[in-house]
Amino acid sequence: MSLPHDYAHTHVCGESEFVDDRPIMKNELFCDIFFSSRAHALIKHVDFTEALKMPGVVEIFTGRDFHDNMWGTIFRDQPLLAIDKVNYAGEGIAIVVAETLEAAQRAKHKIIIEYTDLEAVLSIQDAKKKGSFIMESRKIERGDVDEQLKAAPHTIEGSIIMQGHDHFYLESQVSIAYPLEDGQIEVHSSSQHPTETQHVVAHALGLSAKDVVCQVKRMGGGFGGKESQAAPFAAMAALAAMKLKRPVRICLTKDDDMIMTGKRNPFENEYKVGFDKDGRILAMDLKLFSDAGAYADLSTSIMERAMLHSDNSYFIPHMRVVGQVCKTNHHSHTAFRGFGGPKGVATAEKIIEEIAHYLKKDAVEIRKLNLYSEMGGRNLTHYGQLVKNNCLERLVTELESKCDYKKRRMEIIQHNKENKESIRGISLTTVKFGISFTTRFLNQGNAMVIIHNDGSLQIATGATEMGQGVNARISEMVTGELGLPRDAARVMPTRTDKNANTSPTAASSGTDINGAAALLATRKIKKRLSELALKLLDIPKEKWASKTAGLGTQPEVELSDPYLNENDPNAGTDWESGIATYFDIHFKDGSVFHPEHLDKKIEFKYLILEAYLNRVSLSDYAFYKIPGIEFNKLTGQGDAFLYFTNGAACSEVNINRDTGEIKVLRTDILMDLGRSVNEDLDLGQISGAFIQGMGWVTTENLFYNDQGLLLSHAPSTYKIPNVQDVPREFNIELLENDENYANVRGTKAVGEPPLLLAISVWTAVNHALTFLPRYQAEFPSVRIPATSENVLRAMIPERFKAWE
Amino acid sequence: MRNKIVFYLNGNRKEVGAREASMMFAEYLRYDQGLTGTKIVCAEGDCGACSVLRYFPHVKGTDTNNYLPINSCITLVAQLDGSSIVTVDALKKNNELHETQKAMVECHGSQCGFCTPGFVMAITGMVEEKLAKKDFKIDEQEAKNCMTGNLCRCTGYQPIVNAAMSIDLEKCEGLKERFYSERQEVELTKIFSESVLLESDEFFYFAPKTLKEALNYLKDFPDTKIVASATDLGVVHNKRKAHLTRLLSLHLVSELYKVEISETEVKLGARVTHTEFRHSMKDKLPEFANYLDIFASPQIKNIGTVIGNIANASPVGDTPPAFLALDATVNVVGPKGEREIPISKFFLAYRKTALEHGEIITTVKFKLPSKNSSIKFYKNSNRKDLDISAVNLAIRVEWKDESKKEIQDIMIAAGGVAATPLRLIQTETALKINFDIEAAVTTLHSEFTPLSDVRATSAYRHVLVENFFRRFFAEVGGVQ
Repeated sequence: MSLPHDYAHTHVCGESEFVDDRPIMKNELFCDIFFSSRAHALIKHVDFTEALKMPGVVEIFTGRDFHDNMWGTIFRDQPLLAIDKVNYAGEGIAIVVAETLEAAQRAKHKIIIEYTDLEAVLSIQDAKKKGSFIMESRKIERGDVDEQLKAAPHTIEGSIIMQGHDHFYLESQVSIAYPLEDGQIEVHSSSQHPTETQHVVAHALGLSAKDVVCQVKRMGGGFGGKESQAAPFAAMAALAAMKLKRPVRICLTKDDDMIMTGKRNPFENEYKVGFDKDGRILAMDLKLFSDAGAYADLSTSIMERAMLHSDNSYFIPHMRVVGQVCKTNHHSHTAFRGFGGPKGVATAEKIIEEIAHYLKKDAVEIRKLNLYSEMGGRNLTHYGQLVKNNCLERLVTELESKCDYKKRRMEIIQHNKENKESIRGISLTTVKFGISFTTRFLNQGNAMVIIHNDGSLQIATGATEMGQGVNARISEMVTGELGLPRDAARVMPTRTDKNANTSPTAASSGTDINGAAALLATRKIKKRLSELALKLLDIPKEKWASKTAGLGTQPEVELSDPYLNENDPNAGTDWESGIATYFDIHFKDGSVFHPEHLDKKIEFKYLILEAYLNRVSLSDYAFYKIPGIEFNKLTGQGDAFLYFTNGAACSEVNINRDTGEIKVLRTDILMDLGRSVNEDLDLGQISGAFIQGMGWVTTENLFYNDQGLLLSHAPSTYKIPNVQDVPREFNIELLENDENYANVRGTKAVGEPPLLLAISVWTAVNHALTFLPRYQAEFPSVRIPATSENVLRAMIPERFKAWE
Repeated sequence: MRNKIVFYLNGNRKEVGAREASMMFAEYLRYDQGLTGTKIVCAEGDCGACSVLRYFPHVKGTDTNNYLPINSCITLVAQLDGSSIVTVDALKKNNELHETQKAMVECHGSQCGFCTPGFVMAITGMVEEKLAKKDFKIDEQEAKNCMTGNLCRCTGYQPIVNAAMSIDLEKCEGLKERFYSERQEVELTKIFSESVLLESDEFFYFAPKTLKEALNYLKDFPDTKIVASATDLGVVHNKRKAHLTRLLSLHLVSELYKVEISETEVKLGARVTHTEFRHSMKDKLPEFANYLDIFASPQIKNIGTVIGNIANASPVGDTPPAFLALDATVNVVGPKGEREIPISKFFLAYRKTALEHGEIITTVKFKLPSKNSSIKFYKNSNRKDLDISAVNLAIRVEWKDESKKEIQDIMIAAGGVAATPLRLIQTETALKINFDIEAAVTTLHSEFTPLSDVRATSAYRHVLVENFFRRFFAEVGGVQ
């Protein structure tokens, strides 16, 4: 059994502090944000008179009150608050500050505004027609796609529509800003990216970074939604705090959060694929279009990841993928677990299913035929990266037999012949997810490790804790390195005054980057402690500093080489244990010893005291950068990733013929996560990500009005999976893989990849539909999400047409 | 006359006036009492993060004589008058975790921790029910059912289900032993004998002991809203679409808690909750009990009243079509005395009922279907559980005889297809004249013109109603 989450014991008591749990200060103020109800309009006139008269209202701020109203992670193209023109329904226009939240909320409704509507772009199709794009399209190409498509024995053309996906973190966007002496601001935010939050606040207020501290203790879920989009809310709270010299809290309601913040980008992809009679893909031509919403945010990077994942696990000798980000008048879409990956992978998996359907073959056979393979030169991606430590075939073969795929597929064929009430489908899909930020400079992190003189530790990194257990993993690695129990260390809240210039906790990289940095910092101390321990072996105990330092009767122990300069977290380690040893001194079970002097074990705590008294530094800081990321964005070629996390899932669905309702009967997952730091935390990431992805492909339906205003903005209308939606049988296993030499301790990142396995539910729905007479030749085209209405519509389109 | 609301919070007596009484309980806990363990997420009773346990000692129902989970975000403090409440903050005893908490830690049932307190309370509610029944085993379906009202976005639920199943019930100490005392019982009984009147500049609240007093109040203050459990009013209030300023509560009127069941008839008082109703229907009318299982969440059903669901007159309410098919009668009392309204005449227009000014619904009654009858309730929603319906269809057929070949009487009612819950009378008539389903389908569609909205398109609603209609006859038999 692995150790629980490091704060599970306070979570279950409600004692874990989230931002809005912080005690309300006596002079604290509350905010509500007034936002646009129009998609695209000039603000003709806005009148705060009545709102300002409401009881409890203190002040109303607009974009003009900021020193610099513009922000944006990649391009600074987005106003914090719209001033003359709104570009989406939900765009903030003013901040109402009041003595209570309710007063601010009631006053907000008294604001009078007049718009002059402009023509709006509210779909990808519309954007394509009007040429409304962000940046030029990008292309990744290998081989001769046009020729090979012409020459291919079979070709299929098609498209896939994928809607957005709300993060639905339980804790909405929230920030409290405290004005401090001498014009400083301290911001407590629920943010995956404290550094960016700090910088956005500083820019917005005209402060330098030294005057702004951002603290993130924990988030009630993030999922990418708090990577870039936490910052503007922090800036708003900070503005009011600075102007009014009082603490100011912004805590969005779920409704406002869902209306204002961006989602997973919708995509509409077009494909043409050529293949031989066995189903081997010869060439593929892909065009990806995403809806960025009104501003760039992270959408260009998201598109890049979609392009890099359009092959998924399959070798496509001649491949071209073109990606175009569209600019629309929707909320500005953003990072969401998978970051473009799911949209590439869903396209690839649909293509595989469609080939199988076309050739009347089992889709698993088509997958096996096309998997990246170390045999026959079929192991190089379309962007020129070699797929190392490739275990894709093992995953598919093992899962296929573990889940009894063949037998169940036969039973489904039988069921669909006989049963009048439901049809069933089964599908086994794969994922090969590239780990690293594709933007090289983001692959850096730093950490600080402190050992107090009682032998207990504090760790500070740039990682932010959002439930994924990054802190638990980091403290397990650090304490493991020192032979201590995990509770000897505490991972402290992430603060920009301790860890600066950090990257967001994103791209599944939190543990990889910050864990490596923390381990490197620990080893710097460990090396010093090891040499000290070695030297202490030769000194009689009565002469140790703890007995003599007060009087100064003995010379201080001098270390020959107190420094360690290393960037490789696996350097000097024993591969089996992952532990580095210096001077042959071992740290185990709270003690330190030399294997040849087992009689002279030193208690860790005692060694720490000796170190302190001998003036050996007990704190250190380390920096880590992921080596070998060489991806040229202009040519679309290079090693974009440090390694790949792989997995496979098989899902079986039952569809009610009367309603189109889907029930997932069974899902089996097999994942390659290298060597887990904490297996149960990894399993929790898999089940959580899978169910979240299942929501995206089934019930989670973003419904907008004709102004692009989100109407499904609360759990009463936006349906994330409920406990009853969990597959009736849900098995998750990990593949044994001790050979991920690239990453810290042979682990693999887990945060995002399992979300993509939920695509198996959607392909299983399609598989079920292929049993209907109407889909004997044609392949069904149910969009994502396959809501019960979308599914029933695909089953009996003519019955729907009768009423339209 | 009292001018304070009295309840027990984690074993401590609380006596509050109008200011606190007008707050939502979750806000009172978090921002007034500093008990921030209870979280607010949706403020509409759909996520369960705000779950607390409430024991209401004045109704000794079989399934309800325990601490039950409710949503504190849509419950006014005023509604907790006479209750004993336990929140997550007090669950740990002398630094020792409750068995539910231990299980959640050990099974990795908590990741980000934000939904966790709500799950802990929902599961503990089930633990209480199990202890009361001296049933010491939790199976997977029971585990899932108790957390139907809670959303988690991190774990994928399986670890939480595993946690619930792993609880060692033999080791659990009941919350009544810890938080409810004889002294409390005496005190809560005593305060229950007195009417309550709260008044401040912004909030007026009256809870009389008798219907007569209630009627007088409604006459004096026509802008009064009658609040049953606020599972709808609370949402409207939280979303700032209305301001609850003057409320009348009937929670002190003892006769309204009655469930009267004879061989042939069921009569429910206005204060009967869905949970209590489900318990009564389990054997008498299992179709209704099963239907209630996919209706709302345990938290809502534990406090929400059946009559509230009728009075609310929502076009997508789940029980109105069922009561229409059962041909129920709504009994009201008003300034002019008592009267009976057939439910088929009750829903007049969008959210408008046949209730006249100053009238109060006291009971609803219906006849249990005879042996020679078939009754089915159907519901479709985007998500199966805890979702507002896109379409409901309720059908009851009284057959001429056991052979179920000829229709004696039929009642069909639909929800989600019009501005009100709708009886489909022409279809009924057509079928009574000629038991021809194909012909009836045409009539059926002609009786409604549904809207397209966030839940379903008009076309989908048409198709669903027809499919449910056909399924009914496929399931129950009949000529075709």
